[in-house]
Amino acid sequence: MRLTRLRVAELRAFRQPFELAALQPGLNIVAGRNEAGKSSLVRAIRAAFLERHRSTAVEDLRPYGDAAAAPSVELDFDIGGTAYALRKSFLGRKRCELRIAGSRRLEGQAAEDHLAELLGFGFAPKGANRDEFLGLPGLLWVEQGSAGELAAAVGHAAPQLQRSLQQSVDDSIAALSAGDGDELIEQVRNLRADWLTATGKPRGTLLQAHDDAAARQAEVAALQAAATAYRRQVDELRTLRDEHAAAQRDAPWAELRQRQQQAEDAWRAAQGLAAEHAARRDELQQKQALQELLVQQLAAAARQAADLQARGTAAQAAARALQQATAAEQGARAAHAAAAEQARRAQATLALARQEDSRAQLSTQLAMARQRSAEAATRLQQAQGEAARAAELRRAAAAAAIEPQDLQALRERAARLQALAIRQSAIATRLQFELLPGAALRLDGEALQGHGERLLLARGELQIAQVGRLVISPGGPDLAELAAEQQRLQGEQQALLQRLGLADLDQAEARAQARHDGLQASEAAQRTLAVLAPQGLDSLQAALDAADAQRQATEGALAQLPPPAADAPPLAAAAAAVDAAQQAATAAAAALEQTRRQLAADASEQQSAERERQALAALLDSAEHRTRNEQAQARLAAGHQQAAALQATLQALQQRLDGQRPDILQQDIERLRRSAEQAQQTFQLRGIRIAQLEATLAAAGAQGLDEQLAQAQQALQQATRRHAELQRRAAAADLLLQRLTQHRQAFAQRLRAPLLRHLDRLLPLLLPGARLDLDEQLVPQMLSRPADEAGDAELAPLASLSHGAREQIGVAVRIACADWLREAGRPTLLMLDDALTHSDDERLARMKRLLFDAASRHQVLLFTCHAARWHDMGVPLLSIERRAAG
Amino acid sequence: MIRLLHTADWQIGRTYGFLDADDAAALADARLAAVERIAQAAAAGGADAVLVAGDVFDAQALSSRSIRRLFHALESYAGPWVMIAGNHDAALSEGVWAEAQRLAVVPPHARLMLQPGVLELPAQRLALLCAPLTQRHTPDDGTAWFDHADTPAGWLRVGLAHGAVQGLLADDIDAANPIAPDRAARAKLDYLALGDWHGTRRIDDRTWYSGTPEPDRFKDNAAGQVLWVELDGPGAPPRVQPQAIAQHRWRRLPRALASGGDVDALRAELADAGRGDVLQLVLQGTLDLAAHQALQQLLDETQARVRSLLAERDGLRLAPTADDIAALQAEGYLGTLIAELRDTRAGAGADADAGANPNPNPNSNSDTAQDALALLTQLLADRRARRPGPAAPEAAR
Repeated sequence: MRLTRLRVAELRAFRQPFELAALQPGLNIVAGRNEAGKSSLVRAIRAAFLERHRSTAVEDLRPYGDAAAAPSVELDFDIGGTAYALRKSFLGRKRCELRIAGSRRLEGQAAEDHLAELLGFGFAPKGANRDEFLGLPGLLWVEQGSAGELAAAVGHAAPQLQRSLQQSVDDSIAALSAGDGDELIEQVRNLRADWLTATGKPRGTLLQAHDDAAARQAEVAALQAAATAYRRQVDELRTLRDEHAAAQRDAPWAELRQRQQQAEDAWRAAQGLAAEHAARRDELQQKQALQELLVQQLAAAARQAADLQARGTAAQAAARALQQATAAEQGARAAHAAAAEQARRAQATLALARQEDSRAQLSTQLAMARQRSAEAATRLQQAQGEAARAAELRRAAAAAAIEPQDLQALRERAARLQALAIRQSAIATRLQFELLPGAALRLDGEALQGHGERLLLARGELQIAQVGRLVISPGGPDLAELAAEQQRLQGEQQALLQRLGLADLDQAEARAQARHDGLQASEAAQRTLAVLAPQGLDSLQAALDAADAQRQATEGALAQLPPPAADAPPLAAAAAAVDAAQQAATAAAAALEQTRRQLAADASEQQSAERERQALAALLDSAEHRTRNEQAQARLAAGHQQAAALQATLQALQQRLDGQRPDILQQDIERLRRSAEQAQQTFQLRGIRIAQLEATLAAAGAQGLDEQLAQAQQALQQATRRHAELQRRAAAADLLLQRLTQHRQAFAQRLRAPLLRHLDRLLPLLLPGARLDLDEQLVPQMLSRPADEAGDAELAPLASLSHGAREQIGVAVRIACADWLREAGRPTLLMLDDALTHSDDERLARMKRLLFDAASRHQVLLFTCHAARWHDMGVPLLSIERRAAG
Repeated sequence: MIRLLHTADWQIGRTYGFLDADDAAALADARLAAVERIAQAAAAGGADAVLVAGDVFDAQALSSRSIRRLFHALESYAGPWVMIAGNHDAALSEGVWAEAQRLAVVPPHARLMLQPGVLELPAQRLALLCAPLTQRHTPDDGTAWFDHADTPAGWLRVGLAHGAVQGLLADDIDAANPIAPDRAARAKLDYLALGDWHGTRRIDDRTWYSGTPEPDRFKDNAAGQVLWVELDGPGAPPRVQPQAIAQHRWRRLPRALASGGDVDALRAELADAGRGDVLQLVLQGTLDLAAHQALQQLLDETQARVRSLLAERDGLRLAPTADDIAALQAEGYLGTLIAELRDTRAGAGADADAGANPNPNPNSNSDTAQDALALLTQLLADRRARRPGPAAPEAAR
């Protein structure tokens, strides 16, 4: 396809018509500054083909501000030898006309649809056309900035590409119109989807069938279990019935009861035997006890005989003792009498010694008493003297008493008077006079002569002869006061002195002193008295009286003593002798007493021994005693025999008893009793169980279990069959889908081969050694590059490359597509609006090679604002600056 | 001279799980219908008694409805009916007979022999020695007591038993419930009516199996009949006449198909199959597409005509020819795929494709491939039918 002429009017930047008629078959470079209108031209071409003339969404075609504009485009182009002329205007005047080969004419929508079919694109149902409908032109006509957006463009163009390319595949692979193959695949996929999910899990009817079969399985299992249980119960019923009938016939409990009875009888017999044994044993015991008694009795008798013997011996001994005691008593009596006599004599001697002793003592005492009496009298005298003196002094002192406070008052008053006088003299008007001889003054009547001074305390009258009278009134009130005071004090002083009977203070002082001295002397005398008579005079007097009394008493006592004895031993010796004698006497008395007692004891002993012996002898001699003894012996002998017999009997009984084992018999009874009870109980329970079973089975039978089971099994088989059937179908569909998609992929891969071939040829011109791989939708995904000096071999997704690289690869891929489409016979026109803006110089150089090469096969319209970069393409640049002029 | 009708193995309550639900229900009902026809035949043929030699019921715990229906079916013939318990309906302590008695549906003219013993029918001067089974499996011969059983002088002695005659029948019969092969002679029976074997079979002059009145399996053993037994008098040899009474005919047809011609032959063979047929087709062989489709059509038609059709097709393989593939307009990879699927042999499928489902059963891969092939050819055929393209070359016939 190639454009030959383009003319636009009232379209965006071109308010005035603009024509581009110099379009070449190969590369056309349209250069213009920014805003020269390059994009408007691109837009015009795009709108001419890709927008419906009736579209209301093409407002952008209007020149700015021209609301009435009717943008129009005229395009002349040819495709595959056929010339087309397209006239289209929008908005203000909606028209579309397509002339084909000069003769055929299509208008409006028909023309647009024809072009869509021809160029391989579609229209959006409403509004402006959208990328997804732009098909091949969307891929090959690159708008500004979207060279790098390869995936979307290829994706949208893929169906068209596929369709176009089916036909280009060589004949060695039988062609398959893609639509049918896909349709079939879709059919199979839908079929499969009825039964399997995308991951192959059962769903829908298959899942239902599976669940159904499983449910039926469960049902059958349950019913089988129930049926089995039923059968088991039927068997059980049969067994129980048989058992029950047998038990009814045989009645095992009867036999057991019988055996129980027998055991009881045996036990009772054994009990009897035991009783007898016990009785016998008691008898034997009694017998033995009796024997014991007899033996004891005989023994007692023997003892008594021995006793008698002993008693005889004892009596004799007692008699001998008695004799000896009598003799002893006599001796003791004599001794005692002698000792008593001795003691009496010693006593008399002692009395004499005492008498002399006391005489001596009394004499001594008398001498002492006299002395004491004299001393006491002396002392008394002294003390009395002292007391009198003290009393005298005291009396004197008392007379010269003066109260201390009086004395004090006197002293004070005297002092005050003195002070007063001083003050007076200070304050007082001093009147000094020195009179001439013979001159006389009279002061208050007092004649003054010579020299002297007078203090005037009060108003004074001074009479001077022949002169007159001077009245001197001393100043100051004090003086009057002082005078008054002085008067007062003096009065008081005087009064007090009078009361006391004293003349003046000095007398008072003297009296006080005298008193004081007198008191002191009195006290000294008192003290001396105290020393002499601590308890007072009276006590001294009493002591004296006592001493006198005592003296007198002692004299009296002495006079009463009998005349002295001559040979009195000393007192001590006599006392000692008396003591000794007394001791001896006491001892002798004791000895006598002892022997007497002994004698008495021995006598009584002898008597009792003799008495006992006689009694016992009498007893033993009695005939009764003898008879009893004999009897006892006889019975003892008999008893032995009987005991032996009983013993034998007991042994026999014991043996029999040992054989019986009544304890075991008791256990037997218990065991048999319980067994009989259990047998009966078992019978009854069995009867109940039978009734239960019958009822259960009747109820179960009424449910028709077997029939239900058969039905359920039937249903299970059917469900299983259905499930298997669906499984088979699902598996078939699954397998078919797998294989179909595999084959289809392989096929598609082979289809893509040519595109890859073109790409492999072009891409290395841009990136040496690089390969780009395409996915199913022909969208390039991964770019692989060999290791270069910069780094390692690289495999990177296209989206991760730089903007510039993406642009470059975008253009390269589009060229490859164009080549491929050309092979398939489709119209190819490449339009690049400022597509390689991010390319560096080196890459740009490579792209230029690519473009130049591409231009040999396709018409390429390249719009750029960098005129300077594109001078080396071998074609003149078409400028659109002329617009300004035109 | 008395005429007895001998039948057995009614198997009321049997279900057919291997058949479609509707068919199974119809065939289950047919068993009851057979009883009704027996009653009618007995009445029409002037039977003096009907002897039912066991397995009246197929199971012990049937629904009361089934039990009632069975006894109602006896109405047309006023009796006496003499029934013994077989092995399926053994006279256990509790079971179908006990239930029937509890429901009180046993008509007076039906005599249930649930314990071994002699039943005397004075009107017919007939003594029936009955050996019902009281257990499912009896190791002992239940008819042994016949030898010493006394019956009134001058009366006919007829035995009624259920079990397997020892030594004469195939081993697939349960060895339980044995019966001595010479019981009729030993017990001096005029006739011994047996049940358990489902096909009509003569053991000796006086000993017969009547078989089931309505077939219930695909074995070809002359089932579906009752026996008329005429006895002139004690000691006289019986005259036994089978009468067909079944409504359905069960047939098993194994067939090998290799071409469309074989399919045609089969079609001819099945032409007369109708409502009374229960068919089991066991097919083997290899078919091309046309034959396969013809077969499918034949099966669909036949299924609609007969009572029930079981078609076992596991032995069939679909092998489309090259012409078939061309005729389908299976271009490009579709054709390749068809050829692939066709050539997948048993076991070869396991390693064929990457991503194939690893299946422990080697046969299933080839089966699945066959199914996939059938599906694909079907879809393509439908497509071709929808939009007729260039004329397809004639499929090879």
